[in-house]
Amino acid sequence: MAALPLWLRNTRSVIGLTILVLVCAAALLAPVIAPHDPNEQDLLNTLLPPVWADGGDPAFVFGTDSLGRDILSRLLHGARVAMTVAISASFGAMLLGGFLAHVAGYFGGWADWLIGRIIDVWLSFPPVVLSLILMVGLGSGLWNVILAIILVDWTRFCRVLRAEVLVVRRRDYVAAARLLGFSHLRTIVREILPATLPLLITLMALEMGIAVVVEAILSFAGMSVGNEVPAWGQMIADARQDIYTSPSTLILPAFAVFITVFGFNILGDGLRRSLDTRLTQTERA
Amino acid sequence: MSLLDVDRLTVSVGNSKGTFTVLSELTFRLEPGQVLGLVGESGAGKSMIGRTIAQLLPKGFHVSNGTLVFDGHDMLGIDERQRRALLGRDIAFIPQEPLAALNPVLTIGQQIREHLAHVARGEGRTRVADWRATAIEVLQSAHLNDPAGLLNKYPHQLSGGMCQRILIAMAFLSRPKLLIADEPTTALDVSVQARIIDLINEMRRANGTAVIFITHDLRLARQICDEVLVLYAGKQVEFGPGPAVFDAPAHPYTRALQLAIPPTMAEHRGLFTLPDRMPGLMALNDMQGCRFAARCPLAMDACLSTVPADVTVGQGHRSACLRPMDTGTIQPPPPPEHRQRQAGTTPLFTARDLSRHYVTRARLLRKPDTFAAVRSASLDLAEGEFLGIVGESGSGKSTLARLLVGLEGASSGQMTYQGRDISGMDPETAAFRRRNIQMVFQDPQSALNPRRRVGAIVTQAMEVMASTAADRADRAAELLSEIGLSPEMAARYPSQMSGGQKQRVNIARALCNVPRLLIADEIVSGLDVSVQAQLLELLLRLRQERALSIIIISHDLSVVRYLCDRVMVMYRGEVVESGAVDTVFANPQADYTRKLLAAMPGETGQG
Repeated sequence: MAALPLWLRNTRSVIGLTILVLVCAAALLAPVIAPHDPNEQDLLNTLLPPVWADGGDPAFVFGTDSLGRDILSRLLHGARVAMTVAISASFGAMLLGGFLAHVAGYFGGWADWLIGRIIDVWLSFPPVVLSLILMVGLGSGLWNVILAIILVDWTRFCRVLRAEVLVVRRRDYVAAARLLGFSHLRTIVREILPATLPLLITLMALEMGIAVVVEAILSFAGMSVGNEVPAWGQMIADARQDIYTSPSTLILPAFAVFITVFGFNILGDGLRRSLDTRLTQTERA
Repeated sequence: MSLLDVDRLTVSVGNSKGTFTVLSELTFRLEPGQVLGLVGESGAGKSMIGRTIAQLLPKGFHVSNGTLVFDGHDMLGIDERQRRALLGRDIAFIPQEPLAALNPVLTIGQQIREHLAHVARGEGRTRVADWRATAIEVLQSAHLNDPAGLLNKYPHQLSGGMCQRILIAMAFLSRPKLLIADEPTTALDVSVQARIIDLINEMRRANGTAVIFITHDLRLARQICDEVLVLYAGKQVEFGPGPAVFDAPAHPYTRALQLAIPPTMAEHRGLFTLPDRMPGLMALNDMQGCRFAARCPLAMDACLSTVPADVTVGQGHRSACLRPMDTGTIQPPPPPEHRQRQAGTTPLFTARDLSRHYVTRARLLRKPDTFAAVRSASLDLAEGEFLGIVGESGSGKSTLARLLVGLEGASSGQMTYQGRDISGMDPETAAFRRRNIQMVFQDPQSALNPRRRVGAIVTQAMEVMASTAADRADRAAELLSEIGLSPEMAARYPSQMSGGQKQRVNIARALCNVPRLLIADEIVSGLDVSVQAQLLELLLRLRQERALSIIIISHDLSVVRYLCDRVMVMYRGEVVESGAVDTVFANPQADYTRKLLAAMPGETGQG
């Protein structure tokens, strides 16, 4: 087992990673493995139950919705939207938040003050309301959803990372690097960033889970991608009228959101346990 | 009957790699009211003895053999409840870090009250009558001013020395039979240290308490201990009455440790440097003969194959050595070469009236409140000269170091290097300063980036210049051999090195660009005397080979006296005295210097 990196020897990380690899594979392969076109309506076969229930049809493994669309195919295609948003939005939020965090934590002074106050103002808006407002302003569409999530969630990265940068900046090796002629940029990139990277990666894993939830909320409210693109939140919204007659149409997409977010969270927790130096030190001592 | 009777006590730790012996066959007795010193390098198992007595061993550690009887109680077989009743009442502790031992969210009064209640429960009383009066009495016994006011203070509002006094007063409150003091003064200033030792001495006499005094400082041990136990790699190598052990050590290790400490007042002599370091736990299992043999100046072939038995060399004085009587033949080397010649007189560096103020509170439309960390400090340094700066914590010596290398700008004052003004903070001056003046940082733990390999750390300065990977590897090998490490070390990470090795890497990094002046901030504090001696020798060798000038900042007067030509004494941001080392030590002018010198513990034995 010695060949595996430390973070992969953690059961939590392995479980989380396995779930996410499966979800990603589903998203990538959706056009190939989906049995039906996700938007194809079969009005003769509406609200079919899943195949294991009475009256199930083997052609529609998870059944159909009120318009006779295949739920399995829609779930698989919905994963594409969820994963694109999760990866791009968290990456964007990490770049923006991480950059400002390093500027604030490293330089301190008025830069730190200004960034800190912007975050204070930003965080005083409820995040869901803020993203809804942004969506109204930006208009719907996949890239606008991602942009809205970035603009809402960069503060999370910035706050947490800034504290970490402050701690690392006080280390003598940072002063030593300056004495050896390192420019500010090089000091940040070569001395500080390697120390904050584990936290950055952990935060990103958690942020991906949050992005999946926010996207589901936005598409539930009809503020995300257009109607022609299947998304999990949309499926939940569509299933509301038939919740008593055919609960599986609602439960299945909700479960898809749940399992994906669970995967991201447990991966993030596993990464935190193996990458956070404070935790690993106490556990190993 | 002895108060504490330890017989063949063995503590082991078992982990995935096997079972290792941490303490082996420890045998000693402690009579009531006596002070037993436990000395040895870090990692020898000193603290483990205290933890075994309290049965607070870390996870995985267990007593695998032997007996430990305290005051008629078998401490190894005693049940949890009985043991808890003994701890804090009959057995008291004084910790190393006083601030960490007090609860930061409770006032001193609340904490004393809690402790009073614990003691009262043990005596069968349920209520503490008038705890406030008792607490004030307790604080008065530790000679603390304004005890009533102290009760409402929080630990962070007090100095480390005050907190330690409070803890000592609390420890003695139950009139314990045994006190275990684990490095109680290591985290404190020298001037405070002496007062703490006096306090412990006074309180133990008043209460008839026996003390186990754990320390790495032989000078302190000599001052306070009736009996001394010297530990090496978990084994008791020498045990006996203090005067006997220090004046006529019967184990080469004790003698070597003594000679590794620079003399504070006695005649100048060289330092005995023990080669290498103490074997780790893992290595002990395969070791055949004496554990010290590999580093011992008296080792014979027999030492490598026979485990030496404890032999009695005098009244109550035992040594585990095959040649106990030859220990006296180990002689210190002659005093360092610089003692015989005059330092150069060509001026290299000067500082005039350097000051640094910090704004403690900004005020609108008025002058801000400021605190002066350094007040008009001036110094001159000749080429190849060693200057020592001494003072207690808060005296401004570290701030001065940061000003000298340009990590901070001075509020006022001027600096020149080889006649060129280097007071400015502009890029050109900064580059010039960097090429010529470098700094060695205090704590190697924080000064070395844990994510870089040693080879990359020592050649870090080349990263901003045009250099190839091969150039850097060559330079790294060169630097490592220069500071006495093998070039293979370049591939390691700092966490894979010992404290002394890390400090060498720390020095090597500063040397990369061949500076002429090094500023070294407390670079040997916190290291074992044997490692300290190795590093001091390294600095002297660099001085000889490179004509390097060094400004050494230290709280240890004996280190400064050993290394330096001149010394500067700082107190509350001001230079109170400066002059040639021998003059200042022999005839101190300032009151503060006299106080500092008086506070230094005496010599460890005849050199």
